[in-house]
Amino acid sequence: MSEAKHGIREKFIEAANRKKILAHKCSKCSQLMLETVMFCEKCGASKFEDVELDGKGTVVTYTIQAVAPEGFEDAGSYAWVVFKINRTQLRASGFLPGVKTPKDLPIGAKVEVTGFDPKHGLLLKQD
Amino acid sequence: MSKLFIFKNVLVLYMTEKVCAIGAGSTKYGKLSESIIEIALSAAKDAIESAGITPKQIQAGYISNVFGVADKQVHMAPVIMSNLGISQVPGLTIESACGSGSVMFREAFANVAAGFYDCVLALGVEKVTHTGTAHSTTLFSYCSDFFYEGGNGASFPGLFASMARAYMTTHKATEEDLANVAVKNHENGFHNPKAHVRKKITVDDVMKSPVVASPLKILDCCPFSDGASAVILCSEEFAKKSGKPYVEVIGSGRGASPAAVQGREDITTIPSTVAAAKAAYKMAGITAKDIDFAEVHDCFTIAEIIDIEDLGFFPKGKAAKAVRDGATRLDGEIPINPSGGLKSKGHPIGATGVGQVVEVFDQFTGRAGERTVNGAEIALTHNFGATGASAAVHIFKKVDRK
Repeated sequence: MSEAKHGIREKFIEAANRKKILAHKCSKCSQLMLETVMFCEKCGASKFEDVELDGKGTVVTYTIQAVAPEGFEDAGSYAWVVFKINRTQLRASGFLPGVKTPKDLPIGAKVEVTGFDPKHGLLLKQD
Repeated sequence: MSKLFIFKNVLVLYMTEKVCAIGAGSTKYGKLSESIIEIALSAAKDAIESAGITPKQIQAGYISNVFGVADKQVHMAPVIMSNLGISQVPGLTIESACGSGSVMFREAFANVAAGFYDCVLALGVEKVTHTGTAHSTTLFSYCSDFFYEGGNGASFPGLFASMARAYMTTHKATEEDLANVAVKNHENGFHNPKAHVRKKITVDDVMKSPVVASPLKILDCCPFSDGASAVILCSEEFAKKSGKPYVEVIGSGRGASPAAVQGREDITTIPSTVAAAKAAYKMAGITAKDIDFAEVHDCFTIAEIIDIEDLGFFPKGKAAKAVRDGATRLDGEIPINPSGGLKSKGHPIGATGVGQVVEVFDQFTGRAGERTVNGAEIALTHNFGATGASAAVHIFKKVDRK
């Protein structure tokens, strides 16, 4: 396996820092998957084309972490969000700071990727 | 017995022994001061004595555990075997997050069913409370698909809270509906002397308890627990010769789901549960309607709501009303978690799936006291790892030895 610097996750992080979501498109059946999947979940093929998706989507579900886990104590009030990436059936999840109550974040709200933080992961903001 | 079948034009012969549980034991669940090995041995001793056997009759040991490293012990099976005085007996340690116990039980079951062994020990154990709540929360988060979940700030309560929000949005359930699950399980656990939290609570108590990850509050969550549970599994012939009361395992199923919540098309169901239940029902030749009670994985209140739909006890979206109407109480149409469940009995994650089997054994052999489900003859256990990435379902039949 290649070193982390050039690994798949590093490529995902590099894309996130350009506000993109890196995905794999199966060369055989065109199924779209997140970049960490090594064999096509639909046809089993292992050849992919990298696809950079616009890091925008809509909120599917979320939680507001009142008790922050270790490493997130300094994050203030935030939500962990599952969102559907626009114009795809793919879902991703990320860290959305500044959410205090459910009124701040209705299901279906628009979010977008703003980068990747080594401490807090995939950073989101409300669109 | 042996069976023959044809697979791809090849005649296959395989053994299928009936598998029975002839002994079972648990420590109390809670904050325990002993070492993880001492906790494990205590449950093993209880199970061996209740089976009326000696350790020398055990031919293999199956051990489930997740965080042995937190008590400075991995490769646990040979250590347990050695301390039972049977160091020559092969052991296997299995990890599958919170579902470790049932996944391990499945392997123990399969090896007896295949005829490899006549008598085995299936034992689950966990010890985490000494690490403190914050660090235990971190350890548990490593059971998630960490790059996408724990690494982006989701704790396990947070992951299940996201499932709760999806369920409540889709099926118009309320936070009070979730609270009803906790109230019912604490009612049952009050009658279980080995339960971690033996305290009755009200819906109001749940609603006023501090939020952990909205919409889940602290009383929607099971506790971190230490504890061990053990079962002696054997062939039917071995069970009959023992002269002891026993329980037959009539169904066993495994299932899997995408590891991360984001990978699931429908967040209000757990595919691994559906698949495991389907396989177990098929093997047993019964349906959900034939189950007299069930021990299900209620790590959080929303989990039980989803479980009892996925297991086929209630139609999709109807579980909250069923719980509200009392259908899952001890005297209801399908009692759920008579032991108190993970919520009240506790959740020593390596032991939980085995503890559910211990409850079935206790119920079917007259050891369940005030929480006995009257007239029960068929029971189901359901246990999963993480947010349901892996699951196992087992079905048991009471054997009348009169």
